[in-house]
Amino acid sequence: MSLSVQGYLLLSAVISAIGLLGLLVRRNPLIMLMSVELMWGGGALAFIAFARHVGNMDGHAFAFFAMIVAAAEVAIGLALVVALFRGREAVDIDDIQLLKG
Amino acid sequence: MESTTPVLLLIVALPLAGSLITAANRNRWKEGTLARVASTAVALSFAATLVALGLQGGAGGVLRFPLVTWGPAGGFELSLGLLGDSISLWWALVVTGVGFLIHVYSSGYMHGDPGFGRYYAKLNYFVFAMSLLVLSDNYVGLLIGWANVGLASFMLIGFWNQRAEAAAAAMKAFVMNVIGEIGLILGTLLLIVHAGSAEFDTVFAAVRSAEPALVTSVGLLFLVAAVAKSAQLPLHTWLPDAMQGPTPVSALIHAATMVTAGVYLVVRSAPIYLASETAALTVAYVGGLSALFGAVVALRQPDIKKVLAFSTMSQVGYMMMAAGAGAYTAAMFHFMTHAFFKAALFLAAGIVIHYLGGEQDIRRMGSLRERLPVVYWLALFSVLALAGAPPLAGFFSKEEILHGVKDAGLTGLWILGVAVAGLTAWYMFRLFSLVFLGAAQPAGKGRREGADENVESRMEMVIPVGVLTALSVVGGWISIPGLTALPEKYLLPALQRVADVPVHRAVWSTDALLVTAVAAAGAVFALSLYGAKGSWRRQEVAARGEPGGPLYNGFYLDALYRTAVVRPTVAVSSWVGRRMDPEGVDGIVHGIAGAVKLLGRALASWHAGLVRSYVFTIVLGVVGVLAYILLAVQ
Repeated sequence: MSLSVQGYLLLSAVISAIGLLGLLVRRNPLIMLMSVELMWGGGALAFIAFARHVGNMDGHAFAFFAMIVAAAEVAIGLALVVALFRGREAVDIDDIQLLKG
Repeated sequence: MESTTPVLLLIVALPLAGSLITAANRNRWKEGTLARVASTAVALSFAATLVALGLQGGAGGVLRFPLVTWGPAGGFELSLGLLGDSISLWWALVVTGVGFLIHVYSSGYMHGDPGFGRYYAKLNYFVFAMSLLVLSDNYVGLLIGWANVGLASFMLIGFWNQRAEAAAAAMKAFVMNVIGEIGLILGTLLLIVHAGSAEFDTVFAAVRSAEPALVTSVGLLFLVAAVAKSAQLPLHTWLPDAMQGPTPVSALIHAATMVTAGVYLVVRSAPIYLASETAALTVAYVGGLSALFGAVVALRQPDIKKVLAFSTMSQVGYMMMAAGAGAYTAAMFHFMTHAFFKAALFLAAGIVIHYLGGEQDIRRMGSLRERLPVVYWLALFSVLALAGAPPLAGFFSKEEILHGVKDAGLTGLWILGVAVAGLTAWYMFRLFSLVFLGAAQPAGKGRREGADENVESRMEMVIPVGVLTALSVVGGWISIPGLTALPEKYLLPALQRVADVPVHRAVWSTDALLVTAVAAAGAVFALSLYGAKGSWRRQEVAARGEPGGPLYNGFYLDALYRTAVVRPTVAVSSWVGRRMDPEGVDGIVHGIAGAVKLLGRALASWHAGLVRSYVFTIVLGVVGVLAYILLAVQ
């Protein structure tokens, strides 16, 4: 045990916060997708930290699942971004208001 | 002595089967077939009643037949069955017997009516309901029959449903009967709560140990039911209106059988009334006052059927008076004789109405003695029987009632009863004189189109009247005091099986002379005033339009109900329909819908499709949930 669990948790919180901030302030869909990925990473890190701390393998399994789902999500997300770009030539998320009820 | 026999079921089921068959084939079969099927059903029912009478094995015998069991529901189980004791069979005998004669008569009276099959289906249905009423062995079954005869009465009063008056009269009868049904339902529920059963024998055994207040309430609630069904004061106003129905219906339902269901209820509940003097006396006084009221109002009615309707009210009042005074056998005896002569009179009136093509105003009749000689003689004997002339049926039964009332110490009611006997002779001989004696009245509508000249040759109509008149003549001889006294021997054991019924023996007394003298005076009075050259006759015949006055209008009770009950109810209902419903109830519904719409419109701007605002909303939500967890966990 070299580093304490608090350090890992702090790192995880910082990464998640950066992702959240990026999601809120950026308008480029590609950057927003990247920000979401950062939040995934932060969450997964917290899982691993706790798993090591408690000595339980469940957290590892969760982290793996998170990575798999994140990979799938990013594949779909990128495809959507590319499709949007092709169809609308838009790189600003505010110009794409397709979810209007 | 008890035995189980399915014959009881036959009495009830045969008319029901007849009703269903005629209803199913009403447009397919010819008139003759329909009439024959329906009449046969009732005739077989009558035969089954005779068989039951044989199986009964003496006056104290009891026949039973279990039908169905409901429940158990919450520990309560309701067994419905049929009971054939002397009282039930006595009633069933008259219902099916007189019912059969009227079925036969109807085939002539309703000849050519487009609703011929419908008529017979309903008439059969009535016989079914009435026999269920009198043969049930418990109050719930009685109630089922009670409600069904009410429905049959409603359908038959409104038989000519294109006529607004008939439809209104049917509705009036139905509404007033429902008032009575509420009384019957409440009384039955009280008994079920107290005795844990609705079965007569169990209930009557429990009544012995019941609180007097409970017994009195039940007795008074049953009186409400009896008053509504038997057209007694103050719920009698539907009966004169019910004359809108076909005349045979008036004879069967609104004279001979259904209106006496109230008397049946009181007689059947004899142990309850014996346990509560208050309730019994109320019954006696309501009956006595109704007898007087009906007789007085009948004095000035111009409509032949309405005279008979008020007379029915008066005669049923006699029966009620007797039942209230504890002279149950006298009440049942008078029920039977009354069924004979009143049915005969109604059917004779039907022949007269047919002969005159629908004319019902007795001031426009006259001289029918020459034109309808057979009906003249039949009607004369029926009128005499009703007026109480010895030795016809009415004399014996009325005598027994008055004797019972006097025996019970109700001298006031006895005097009233004697006076009503005089009034009865008066209004009946007024009716008789105006219809049959004197000169013909060609004026007015005298004879209308569609008059049936040969009505007296229609045997299917004349023979039932003849049979009923013959029964009115000889029917009283079953209870000649000291000689036959059949009602007493046959009916008393059935009553004594369940209660200590006081014995009112029919005896000869000098009172009979007094009553007969009063009745004779009434008859002579009427004949002198309304005879061929009577002064009141001239007055009445000369009058045009409605006579007016308190007697014609039944002491304005109808108008009072219209002003005090019907109008306010209609006003409230129409206010609810016009204002309360569209503005109140609909207002709330539309208000809620409008509010939801407004809220939705306000929230819709949030849902603008802007991804950043969605993200922000999600973050806000996450922060909110986290804050809640942190704060709540502390």
